[in-house]
Amino acid sequence: MATHTAAPRRRWRRYGTSYLMLLPFLGLFAGFLVWPLVNSLYLSFTKFDGVNAPEFQGLENFRRLLFDDDRFRHALGNTFLYVVASIGIGTLLSLGLALAFNGSSWPHRIMRTIFFLPSVTSSIALMLLWKWVFNPGDFGLANTVAAWFGGRAVEWLATPGLTIPILVLMSVWGGMGYGMVLYVAGLNTIPQEYYEAARIDGAGTWQQFRRVTLPLLRPVTTYVVVTGLIGAFQVFEAVYIVFRGTNNIGGVLDSGLMIVPYLYDQGFTHFKLGYASAIAWVLFLIIFALSMVNLRIGRALKEL
Amino acid sequence: MAAAPTTTPIVSDPAVAPRRAPAASRATWRGNLLRLPFYLLSLTMIAPFYWMLITVFKPVTELNRQPPSFVPEHPTLNNFYDPGYSPTQVNPGHLQGIFQRFQVDFGFGRFMFNSLVITVAITVGSLLIASLAAYVITKHRVPGRRLIFLLIVASMMVPWQTTLVPNYVIMRNLGWLDTYQGYIIPALAKAFVLFFLVQFLHSIPDELIQAARVDGAGEWRIWWRIVLPLLRPALAAMSIFIVLAEWNNFLWPLIIVQSDEMANIPVALARLNSYFAGAQHQGAIMAGGLLASLPSIAFFLAFQRYFTRGIVLSGLKG
Repeated sequence: MATHTAAPRRRWRRYGTSYLMLLPFLGLFAGFLVWPLVNSLYLSFTKFDGVNAPEFQGLENFRRLLFDDDRFRHALGNTFLYVVASIGIGTLLSLGLALAFNGSSWPHRIMRTIFFLPSVTSSIALMLLWKWVFNPGDFGLANTVAAWFGGRAVEWLATPGLTIPILVLMSVWGGMGYGMVLYVAGLNTIPQEYYEAARIDGAGTWQQFRRVTLPLLRPVTTYVVVTGLIGAFQVFEAVYIVFRGTNNIGGVLDSGLMIVPYLYDQGFTHFKLGYASAIAWVLFLIIFALSMVNLRIGRALKEL
Repeated sequence: MAAAPTTTPIVSDPAVAPRRAPAASRATWRGNLLRLPFYLLSLTMIAPFYWMLITVFKPVTELNRQPPSFVPEHPTLNNFYDPGYSPTQVNPGHLQGIFQRFQVDFGFGRFMFNSLVITVAITVGSLLIASLAAYVITKHRVPGRRLIFLLIVASMMVPWQTTLVPNYVIMRNLGWLDTYQGYIIPALAKAFVLFFLVQFLHSIPDELIQAARVDGAGEWRIWWRIVLPLLRPALAAMSIFIVLAEWNNFLWPLIIVQSDEMANIPVALARLNSYFAGAQHQGAIMAGGLLASLPSIAFFLAFQRYFTRGIVLSGLKG
């Protein structure tokens, strides 16, 4: 039976350093990601105010979320609308920009830098800037521009019907440069010979775009769309900085209420930590599903 | 199809130097006509930035003028520090500059210092521990390494907000709310960094490491002397992502920071936004926004090359 005890010891001598080197990452990974993830699942089945011990109540939180909570339904609806609009418009513009400015001449390079600038600017600073641009006074930039075209001063941020369009605008403005960079990289992987062959076959510019460029860019498109969707579902700062009122996080009539702002509101303003965990798990399931779609599409493309 | 090593860039520097101009740019005038809307669109990109910049240099009295000035008529640095402001006496046309808005030592400079400390610590720390783990996973035949790697990759599908509540409770129980370690420690284990470094290390031949082992080098020494230098391009690309993300991080700091002293720049700016609503305060707020943005923009422009490469490597082949 000596081998029985000797094997682990030998293994330890052989791999001890290896495990020691893995330890910092794995320890922190387990402590601040895996355990909190499991814990948040547990908390989502409890009533927990952060002070008293969590009180198990089964599926009550999820029942309330899905059937009783108008604000959550509203937040979900807003989020889906925002996500679809901003990623749809943003992806098209990213592709357009990449087709327009993929050269190495200086005008193209300057254009790429300009469109990419928001991606590296402090997002809070950008949100404060937007709030200032949409100032309701007639001296605000948006109202000044509106006045040039004969418009009257608008209460941009206090008009519920404008909330989602403004959020979409900010998202597209800030995000299209990132997609553009990915598309430019994708475009440059397409061998020039394909276009030459297409031309010899008599294909025009549009035909080349339809039959060569677009199909070959499909993996890039999948990546741009899915990562964009995942990022957009997690929108928080735009709502918190630009639209939050004194009493409601979602702005006037909750017109800008989204999933993560609602999670923050329930968890860290009202200290319903159990309920907030349930919201977090709904978000998790949505994003998990999107990631699976991403994987499946990726695999399908590889098998083609 | 077997997963190929993913470290060779698709072209040497794809976003910057394509091999040849694509077909569209040949018919030049027609191409430029099609480009026209995008050139116009670039004006809408510049306009808000320009608006921010001129706001910073306008005196308080010029901020709510109608029509607004598009070049500051009396340019001033008062939005940073206004010598004419006094907390005890009203002085028309003078308000606190951004460095006078918080009752902490060094004012806004304190937040810039906090952001710097946190960003540097997280960047260095996360790259060190991820490179250690990536080295073991790719070059040691430890039992369980596949499972570990799979678990870490799977975790990339988890939105980090899911862990927000439990991590807040952990921070509170450890007494780490409002501390640097509360910012730094939970942010160190970054799955996407490990994933990227593993991909990169797969392409580095084992022989290099075997040779060092034959020469009698220990594992730590190999990591420090051979693996880290080999990883340099990958570390550079990742560090840009981490720096930008941590410098601008907001939701986590918002939850763990209580005092003004421990705020990072985004939290400080958000507080300004809640305390001061009127147009007359926007000069100072935009000055804060500029101070928040300039370092990250400068950082990006300095390391642009690595950045585009990083995006492409992690994006297209990930």
